[in-house]
Amino acid sequence: MTQNPFFDDSWLKLQRDYWDSLANLGRQAMSAAQSGPGTGNDSASAPWMAAPWMQAMEQWRKVMAPAASDPAQTFMQRLMDQGQVYFGMVEQFTKGLAAGDTANAWEALNKTLDSMQQAFSGANTEGNEAMKRMLGFWELPLDNWQRMMSSLSPMMPGDLLRNMPHAGMPGPLQEGLDRMLSAPGLGYTREEQAQYQDLMRTGMDYQRAFQEYSAFFNQLGFKSLQRLRDQLQQKAEAGETIESARGLYDTWIGCCEAVYAEEVATPEYARLHGRLVNAQMALKQRLSVMVDESLGAMNMPTRGELRTLQDRLQETRRENKQLRYELDRIHEKLATLPTAPTPGAAQSKTSQAGAGQAGAGQSSASRTGTSQSSSSQPSSRKTSASGSATTKKTTARKKTAAKSSGG
Amino acid sequence: MFPIDIRPDKLGEEMLDYSRKLGQGMQNLLDAGDIDSGVSPKDAVYREDKLVLYRYQRPADVAQQSVPLLIVYALVNRPYMTDIQEDRSTVKGLLATGQDVYLVDWGYPDQADRSLTLDDYINGYLDRCVDHIRRTHGVDKINILGICQGGSFSLMYSALHPDKVRNLVTMVTPVDFKTPDNLLSNWVQNVDVDLAVDTMGNIPGELLNWSFLSLKPFSLTGQKYVNMVDMLDKPEKAKNFLRMEQWIFDSPDQAGETFRQFIKDFYQQNAFINGTARVGERPVDLKQVRCPVLNIYAMQDHLVPPDASKALNGLTGSEDYTELAFPGGHIGIYVSGKAQKEVTPAIGEWLNAR
Repeated sequence: MTQNPFFDDSWLKLQRDYWDSLANLGRQAMSAAQSGPGTGNDSASAPWMAAPWMQAMEQWRKVMAPAASDPAQTFMQRLMDQGQVYFGMVEQFTKGLAAGDTANAWEALNKTLDSMQQAFSGANTEGNEAMKRMLGFWELPLDNWQRMMSSLSPMMPGDLLRNMPHAGMPGPLQEGLDRMLSAPGLGYTREEQAQYQDLMRTGMDYQRAFQEYSAFFNQLGFKSLQRLRDQLQQKAEAGETIESARGLYDTWIGCCEAVYAEEVATPEYARLHGRLVNAQMALKQRLSVMVDESLGAMNMPTRGELRTLQDRLQETRRENKQLRYELDRIHEKLATLPTAPTPGAAQSKTSQAGAGQAGAGQSSASRTGTSQSSSSQPSSRKTSASGSATTKKTTARKKTAAKSSGG
Repeated sequence: MFPIDIRPDKLGEEMLDYSRKLGQGMQNLLDAGDIDSGVSPKDAVYREDKLVLYRYQRPADVAQQSVPLLIVYALVNRPYMTDIQEDRSTVKGLLATGQDVYLVDWGYPDQADRSLTLDDYINGYLDRCVDHIRRTHGVDKINILGICQGGSFSLMYSALHPDKVRNLVTMVTPVDFKTPDNLLSNWVQNVDVDLAVDTMGNIPGELLNWSFLSLKPFSLTGQKYVNMVDMLDKPEKAKNFLRMEQWIFDSPDQAGETFRQFIKDFYQQNAFINGTARVGERPVDLKQVRCPVLNIYAMQDHLVPPDASKALNGLTGSEDYTELAFPGGHIGIYVSGKAQKEVTPAIGEWLNAR
């Protein structure tokens, strides 16, 4: 067992102590319930032992994980994160459930659910780590968004604007700010002023969109807890019980996912989603324009210029590829043509001239043949006026070829 | 009656067991080493820009069919999903049925590929791959197996080049992009795709990952990792999960112009259903798909709902249309044990009969 640097006896002992203490608390709560309420020994006030498994794992991960491959490290981090959520959920939901009698258990469960729902309404969760981890779980979709945005904008972390308190700004103040940002610039730097005003407007717009999106997830958490409460009630009425922590966790996930699926299928969510993505893109675009202008001022190549070059290069490459393709087909056709018989040396000059003419004729035929065989090639590669003309000619040749072959 | 009956001692034991497995799993992850992907031997037979066309080596003991099969994977994610591990390989299953298997690997587009259009992909890259295979084998027509977005590409290709396609197999392929249960479609309706592409150039793979994970965020970014702990105590299973995890997050960026056209034409305008699909200057008429069609969909597919695929029925000009429903999800249709037994042999049998 001790061969494993992670899975050693001391770590397991920590685990065992922790969960033994949990069992002891359950027994204490049971005896408290038997001796009646108000003994001051209820689970909510029990001195919970800090979860040692978490610190031990985190410490181990920090020391050992760098030796693992990149995907393994990322994966380990996800396992750790979700392990914490799982343990947090178990702590949160089982604290008061060991009392043994049904009435107290319902009361404890409702108390837990109520406090979580209050937390979604903005109540303070300071000091309750398990609760924080639970609430953090509902932010997974938001967290995914922020991680993604951070990866796309290293200079602007995804949560940069999240907590900036502008959304709660009183109406008149907000209007005043909007008016100020709409005022035309003055003097020599008026264009620059307008750009910064626009940057602020798009930034504020993104912030509003993000806060609307966050609010959606808060009410999602609230509804999920209600769904869990309803489902547990239904199980009670049906005489069913959940007998393991994993069973409870899966039920909880099922409720979250079911509520989420209902809510995100609505036009309202589609609007919030679209607004969030569009606001973010507008902000990024505004920043890109300003960066481009700064680069231009320093006589550096800009993104806009590079894109123009890329577009032109791609047009040229399309044409080149099409031409190369047609040339290859011509070569293939030529290779299949019978070579002209070589007459006597005395006639060589005349023969060469004749062969040249025949060759010209064959070449012409090959071109037609090429058009025919490449009819499946895109006739839509025109990207300029001259390209368009070429395409039309090719199409005309194709029609002729098709006609002559009876197609 | 109270519906939660978790005895404290049992809870302690359960959590201890979880911790033990987590610890063992972590150790297995640490020992996993590099993760290989794509297990069947293959040769690169054609290259163009970032595209590579592979031909898989045929097993010595299997008689090979004369008509080769080209697998056209989506631009999203990587095609090694079809050959992800020894006992979970669609490619291997197809080889076992005698198919001569080719696969298009589109590569990882960068900003220089931003201007690539659907026309470039379908009438350019894909057509040149098909021609290469036709020339190599001296055949006029080949078989095509299109997967997901690659299935949509294959449909367009078969409509535009019916003279080069002998049989078409579409797997988990979106055709009707606006079925009510299509969450991705619902979300993208209000997205200003022009603004996104003009801003980003290429669309980053991370953005697509976010969209896919958002379909089931609590299961895919939460529960999955908790459940996985049960399976990580075996080193080989740990490695398999790492391989899958690597694939899930291995999302190439999308060439901007292609993304713009695909999202606007298909997700927003539902071009197959409305008959408005175009590639370059050419309209796509699905009635031109006259070859036999096998349409395979997954009944629990949350990315391409079954109805999105089943909509193909009646849209093509084929008189030989077959559907195959697989009881699983979008990924399970390639990697599940059930798929190895049911889906791949069925494809081989269907192709061999035609």
